[in-house]
Amino acid sequence: MIKLASIFVICCIFFISCTDRNENNSDQTKKKSDTTIVHAPSANPYAAIDLSPMDMSYFPVNYSQKKMTHDITTPPVMRVIYSRPHRQGRTIFGNLLKYGERWRLGANEASEIEFFQNVTIQDKKVNAGRYIIYCTPFQDKWTIILNNDLYTWGLKIDSTKDLMQFDIPVKKTSVDFEYFTMVFQPITNGAELVMAWDDTEGRLPINF
Amino acid sequence: MKQITLLILLIISVLMGKSQSNNLPPVDKSPMDMCYYPNNYPVLKIQDKATEPAVARVIYSRPQKNGRLIFGDLVEYGKVWRLGANEATEIEFFRSVKIGDKKVEKGRYTLYAIPAEDTWTIILNKDNDTWGAFKYDEQKDVLRTSVPVQKLTEGVEALAMTFEKSDSGCNLIIAWDNIKASLPINLK
Repeated sequence: MIKLASIFVICCIFFISCTDRNENNSDQTKKKSDTTIVHAPSANPYAAIDLSPMDMSYFPVNYSQKKMTHDITTPPVMRVIYSRPHRQGRTIFGNLLKYGERWRLGANEASEIEFFQNVTIQDKKVNAGRYIIYCTPFQDKWTIILNNDLYTWGLKIDSTKDLMQFDIPVKKTSVDFEYFTMVFQPITNGAELVMAWDDTEGRLPINF
Repeated sequence: MKQITLLILLIISVLMGKSQSNNLPPVDKSPMDMCYYPNNYPVLKIQDKATEPAVARVIYSRPQKNGRLIFGDLVEYGKVWRLGANEATEIEFFRSVKIGDKKVEKGRYTLYAIPAEDTWTIILNKDNDTWGAFKYDEQKDVLRTSVPVQKLTEGVEALAMTFEKSDSGCNLIIAWDNIKASLPINLK
């Protein structure tokens, strides 16, 4: 049994070193083979670890660390809480996510964005508060929707509670994203909510 | 066989940790998670099975045991522990509740614990949106309450939190390694 285990470990070490090499190469050799297929994380009698782990992004970026180190004393502007599905070798846009159909911008619980102050998106005022955020992707644009149906699961968001929607352009990314990623990046007069997965990203400018 | 399964899981986690190779944030080693009372509220909601509104939710990150001795060692007795990893653990009440004999207003709080061998002190603090317990400020405590802990026979690899129904409301269950603590929340 131990022998079998050691062989497996050696194989895996070999595999890891191979992926390392791939990562160092140029885009040409960048394949979707870096993807790992994970079926089920370890058991837990109280709460299993999610296959698509949850994450949180603040603006200002890394707000809570900066608060801890006293580099920031003003309140945060906004934060997003979302789960991070991974590509696992699949083609995402136009395939797993169909163009024109609603996409929950995450996994599991519906993704949630909270503004701690009033903000402006595409010249529309968005009041401070908590919203569900989701998207309808098209080939050349995404429609980002803010919705009032809080504390729900991402697969069945009640569209009668849609509050506002915003069209944003999409572009191809220079690197591939195994895990769906949402993060804020500063711009003049505000920040963009960057939403990236596979080889595509959309950016929603938020002004304040 | 069990060892092999563990090895496979270990290797998968190593691979997972490596996969995002750009300057945007990688997946956390201690992934974040969320639990509601009623349990699985969002799922119940979309199935039209939610019989009452959401009462509470906890957002926390889940460190793994990784073969370490946790209580009395990695998590020292008598010191404030962040009950999680990364961003400070937060508990939100969607209505006012009672913990111990104290009323806790609807709102968002940061949750800490001071573990000891037989009891934990659970702390609700109003300094939100912070990181861990590194700048914990006792002045901002909303309440402290002492809860007994229980030894578990089956180990818990990743810190886990969940709610269970009780006669007076619910208990927040916090379990890691071989220890389980239970915080009674009175909803009457």
